[in-house]
Amino acid sequence: MEALTQLARGVPWTIALTLTSFLLGALLGLGLCALRLSSSRVLRALATGAVLLLRSVPPVVWLFIIFFGIGFGYVQLPSFLAAMLGLALITAANMAEIYRGALSGVHRGQTEAAIALGLSPRHRFQDIVGPQMIRIALPSAATFAIGLLKDTSVASLIGVQDVAFQVNALAQRSFSGTGIFVIAALLYIALSLPIAALARWTDLRLRAKVAR
Amino acid sequence: MIQTPILKPGPRQDGPHPDHAAAGRPQPSAPVVRIENLVKRYGAYVALHEIGFELKSGEVVAIIGPSGSGKSTLLRCVNQLEQPDGGCITVAGQRFEGGKEHSRAALDTLRRTVGMVFQSFNLFPHMTILRNVSIAQERVAGRSRKDAEDRAMHLLARVGLADKAGQYPARCSGGQQQRIAIARALALDPQIMLFDEPTSALDPELGLEVLAVMRELAESGMTMIVVTHEMRFAENVSDRVVVMADGRVIEEGPSRELMRDPKTERTQRFLHAVRDR
Ligand SMILES: Nc1ncnc2c1ncn2[C@@H]1O[C@H](COP(=O)(O)OP(=O)(O)O)[C@@H](O)[C@H]1O
Ligand SMILES: [Mg+2]
Repeated sequence: MEALTQLARGVPWTIALTLTSFLLGALLGLGLCALRLSSSRVLRALATGAVLLLRSVPPVVWLFIIFFGIGFGYVQLPSFLAAMLGLALITAANMAEIYRGALSGVHRGQTEAAIALGLSPRHRFQDIVGPQMIRIALPSAATFAIGLLKDTSVASLIGVQDVAFQVNALAQRSFSGTGIFVIAALLYIALSLPIAALARWTDLRLRAKVAR
Repeated sequence: MIQTPILKPGPRQDGPHPDHAAAGRPQPSAPVVRIENLVKRYGAYVALHEIGFELKSGEVVAIIGPSGSGKSTLLRCVNQLEQPDGGCITVAGQRFEGGKEHSRAALDTLRRTVGMVFQSFNLFPHMTILRNVSIAQERVAGRSRKDAEDRAMHLLARVGLADKAGQYPARCSGGQQQRIAIARALALDPQIMLFDEPTSALDPELGLEVLAVMRELAESGMTMIVVTHEMRFAENVSDRVVVMADGRVIEEGPSRELMRDPKTERTQRFLHAVRDR
């Protein structure tokens, strides 16, 4: 019982880390995607390089680099902030690719109709292309978010007291056998269900509108 | 308030629209569109070879010709969806030279002056039909939501679809979607309407309802350029026909005359081929 309450103490951290890093990353990803599609070759190359770099190094390595590397000596980033930053950057790179794929799924005629109506580039994105892009990106974004939820467990390695951290602590005190790991596993599954449900619900709602 | 009857005879003769006055609205019978030596290339491929023709205010011109002859490209150059490489297009007194950058303001005016209807409708699928017709009025003309929606309802009623206002485009037939697209293009009170094969994606009977709306629009005095394979529309509704082949205008003339007695052998062959279908 005591083990359960300790595990539960990790839940808010896991949720907070997933939410903040996803939201920040989804936003940064929009910018990164815009850079990838910019007309400047230099910006495009930089953005492509950043995406590649962010995606090919494992999350745990990024967290160590940010937590120990950047914080070394002068500024020590709090572990939660470091974890959030690292995961947000990784999210940004992945979301940029998801957005890019989704954009190519928005029919070219949509932009043309918007141009012919005289909508400004901002309104073309905000009113016409953006909403359709998000609708297409939604399933992949949800899949990524569930992956991210699991990846937040690496934050325990730099001291964020999330679910994985609590499990580890309990196991080291040999509180209980394998049972605690199973409970932790169920906890992660339970946390991922609302994400999947929300994505499904939104998807159905949007689909109902555009489908016959 | 916007009270202009859209499809009624004598459009907008009742007092000039302030924006149009500023753009130098041409006198009736002066050319409202003038295309001179228009050249458009895609890489090394020349899609338009020195095209030229003029369109007077209130005139309806049909552009016909085989697939790939450059009809769409020409139409899309008129509202600068494609940037021409050479020549010049003058629309409502505003010159757009090929191969040059145009100011935002010039393009904004151009796109308010020219409305466009596409072969594939291109309605915005995530917006209600009412929103499809009202959005640009708010974003581009700065009308209030209420004014924009009143105007949109009025236009939807004119194309016979007021009862669909709250629905999404996917719930409409192709013919209905194209009529909505026409209403959407009319919402900013254009002086000129471009149609790129508006009925080609439709079953014949659905095409008819679209053609009926277009005919009414033509009779109301709207200036129109219509790329079409509907030979009866070209002959009976348009004032003039322009025949294109291989990126050139090969023949042009009053519709009835040209359709019944084409001068060039190429046009004769084309008309035969289309009519035999
Ligand atoms: N974006 C483009 N890139 C390359 N070639 C194009 C492009 N658009 C049109 N073309 C070419 O230009 C020619 C004219 O096309 P188009 O104007 O669409 O013909 P039409 O509308 O008369 O069928 C065609 O040969 C077509 O392949
Ligand atoms: Mg075409």
